[in-house]
Amino acid sequence: MVGLSAGERQFIYGGIAQDLRSDGRQRLQFRPISVQTGVIPQANGSARATMGATDVIASIKAELGKPAPLRPDKGKVSIFIDCSPTAAPVFEGRGGEELSAELSVGLQRCLLGGKSGAGAGIDLSSLIVVEGKVCWDLYIDGLVISSDGNLLDALAAAIKAALSNTGIPKVSVSVGASGEDQPEVDVSDEEFMQFDTSGVPVVVTLTKVGRHYIVDATLEEESQMSSAVSVSVNRHGRVCGLIKRGGTGLDPSVVLDMVSVAKHASETLIAVLDSEIASAEAIDDDDAI
Amino acid sequence: MTSTEGYKPESGLAAEIEVEAYHRLFPLQYYERHLAESVRPDSRALGRARDTTIALGPVTSADGSALVKIGDTTVLAAIKLEVMTPSIDSPDVGSVAVDFQMPPICSPVVRPGRPAEVAPVIAKQLSDVIMSSGMINLQELSLISGKAAWMAYLDIYCLNADGSLFDAALLSATAAFSHLQIPLVSLSDDGKLITVSEELKDKAAVEPVNKENRKLTIAVAPFSLTCIVHGKYILADPTSEEESVMDTHVTVVLDSKERLVSLYKAGGAVLLHTSVVKDCIVLAKQRMEELSEILRESLSAMEVD
Amino acid sequence: MGPDKSLLRTKEDNKVKRAPILLEMATGTLGTYSPSQSLERRHQQQKRTDFQEVDWARSDGRNFHQCRPAFLRTGAASSASGSAYAEFGSTKVIVSVFGPRESKKAMLYSDVGRLNCHVTYTTFSTPIRGQGFEHKEYSSMLHKALEGAIMLETFPKTTVDIFALVLESGGGDLPVIISCASLAIADAGIMMYDLVSAVSLSCFGKNMVIDPTSEEEACQDGSLMITYMPSRNEVTQFTLTGEWPTARINEAMELCLDACSKLADILRSCLKDNASELTA
Repeated sequence: MVGLSAGERQFIYGGIAQDLRSDGRQRLQFRPISVQTGVIPQANGSARATMGATDVIASIKAELGKPAPLRPDKGKVSIFIDCSPTAAPVFEGRGGEELSAELSVGLQRCLLGGKSGAGAGIDLSSLIVVEGKVCWDLYIDGLVISSDGNLLDALAAAIKAALSNTGIPKVSVSVGASGEDQPEVDVSDEEFMQFDTSGVPVVVTLTKVGRHYIVDATLEEESQMSSAVSVSVNRHGRVCGLIKRGGTGLDPSVVLDMVSVAKHASETLIAVLDSEIASAEAIDDDDAI
Repeated sequence: MTSTEGYKPESGLAAEIEVEAYHRLFPLQYYERHLAESVRPDSRALGRARDTTIALGPVTSADGSALVKIGDTTVLAAIKLEVMTPSIDSPDVGSVAVDFQMPPICSPVVRPGRPAEVAPVIAKQLSDVIMSSGMINLQELSLISGKAAWMAYLDIYCLNADGSLFDAALLSATAAFSHLQIPLVSLSDDGKLITVSEELKDKAAVEPVNKENRKLTIAVAPFSLTCIVHGKYILADPTSEEESVMDTHVTVVLDSKERLVSLYKAGGAVLLHTSVVKDCIVLAKQRMEELSEILRESLSAMEVD
Repeated sequence: MGPDKSLLRTKEDNKVKRAPILLEMATGTLGTYSPSQSLERRHQQQKRTDFQEVDWARSDGRNFHQCRPAFLRTGAASSASGSAYAEFGSTKVIVSVFGPRESKKAMLYSDVGRLNCHVTYTTFSTPIRGQGFEHKEYSSMLHKALEGAIMLETFPKTTVDIFALVLESGGGDLPVIISCASLAIADAGIMMYDLVSAVSLSCFGKNMVIDPTSEEEACQDGSLMITYMPSRNEVTQFTLTGEWPTARINEAMELCLDACSKLADILRSCLKDNASELTA
């Protein structure tokens, strides 16, 4: 973990209290974000996102599967995060498992909505091919390459970018398949369907240090947190998921205040991320030609 | 090992330290002094088992279940029935899978990722006893000859371990099988068996496969008693502390017709004389009568409800 | 074994890890299947259409803002330092607390105590056998809900183990585990700032239903869970899924906090009753 001297701790505290953090940022200012798409050619979609020294990759693989019996009109999505030992020595062996599980569950909560599929950031009904018979299963894999705090937000940003980079092959269903049998499908190699990502939320984690909250905390700042709340917000300013990430208890009114601050901060994040994704896509397209 | 010669009230070191400290420092001597007076620290006579209770049907999500308490030892058994295809060699029989689990809650020595060593041993013993005692007629678990039969998953969880785990586990297994209610099933269009719901039961639209055989007939039931043999003393139904202090265990399993189903002596330094084994069997016989009465009472109490 | 091979992991390995998420109501172990599967499914489909209506009756006759009756008892397992049993409707949970005891040797020195939480399900806890294994995150959620309430500085260098076993899963499992665990910790005599009580809420369209059962949970549009220390007015854990406008978050929080305060009173009176039983 991060070992900090009393002086360094005091410096972080004091800086946050005066709205000038040790790297020169203000409390609600993000580190520069950069996004690169199409980094893994085998995947249906992929992206790499960096926020300062935090570096993550997300890849998306689509496979044909069968919809769950209870949700015949929806595809399935699973999210799995892995923390590479290159990011920190503690992730070696089984060390990263707990954090990986926590991040995976956090992202599932923030991106996939309620059990009924309502409020999901990823439009699950667009994944259906033949109702009740064939659907797309999306496997979202995230890999943490370098960790300097704020992993959840970075992963969510990478997933959002990877989803907008995702092309799902067009599928034609051969006619004549009777009601009972599994219909035969033909997957096209050339035509792709662009995935709609307008509803995919961003995640903003507010870390409480002393009496103030900061966004996009570095590892050093995270080590000083008293508690943290991750809020996922979509384009319409609606909260799509929220997790309190341990630490001390918070007054209910503070929680609500943090939600509104996170909503406000998400507007800037969404704008920055959109333009980054757009320019990354443009570069990617140029390369393709 | 020589302090059994007698109880000397005012002698030496022992008189000066308090009882609790003596208990901790010299557990074996502490027990031996008690045994010399023919009483155990929990005020039981040597051959007496602890108070035993059976609660039937505590788990509503299972087809049959029972909670057994022997003193502080608490064991929960539940049976869930699933459908399987019987093997070609024996098309008319179902199957039973027994598992015994000791989750971390049951004892300070069990921790997650470090399971108790005795759990698989007890599971194997239970499975052997249940299958060899003839308690269950596996043909009663058959549904459609060669096509479908019940697979009874018996899962036993130890909730609190305080000695004589096998006895409690076997009693809970017997009680759970007595409580087992087989659901009514019918054959669906795709050849699978499905449960007939309550509303549909009376309608003629569905034809249940198993109108009879909703309960297992338990002709003979096995009951067991674990004893500890220490010198000339035989202690029935030991607590976990007694088990850890003295180490020659004998487990006798008798069925309700007084036939010996299984006799198990785990290692230990002491070799047993046959007369001692006979004494254990006598104790086990008394215990068997006691337990079958307790089981009968709890079953009839359930029927009244 | 050599270093971690996570970067070299093949696709097959990934599939193994992913499998439990996508295995909905698939076959059981050893090629057997539960005959109640399709009945269960039909039942849930029926429920799902019901829940979309504005007005529907809950299967246990409660109104939307009414919690299930709770049965609580401390001292369920004598071998533990403290333990508690909780029964909320058909959800049955037992929690044992061991320690404070010596930390594992591999652990570094720590001047505050450690918490080690572990949640397991029995194989028969769910309608279909062996489906309780998909709740891997519950252990860490339990840890997070409690760490803000326990005075860790009172037991330096040592560990308190909190083990929960779900005997029967009938909905709202995690909140019941958390409430039950705080009772068990109190029973073990470990110092806390306050008892932690937890309540969850499901949202269906415009309706908000408190303390949902598992059939309600399976069809919910959104959910919210709060763990709360009423005397300090502090939220220790807060999770929310689904899409929520802010006004509704306020409303749902009010409902849950109110229910948490009531539950905390019940927890407290349970502790008092058991204490007076002991002295009597």
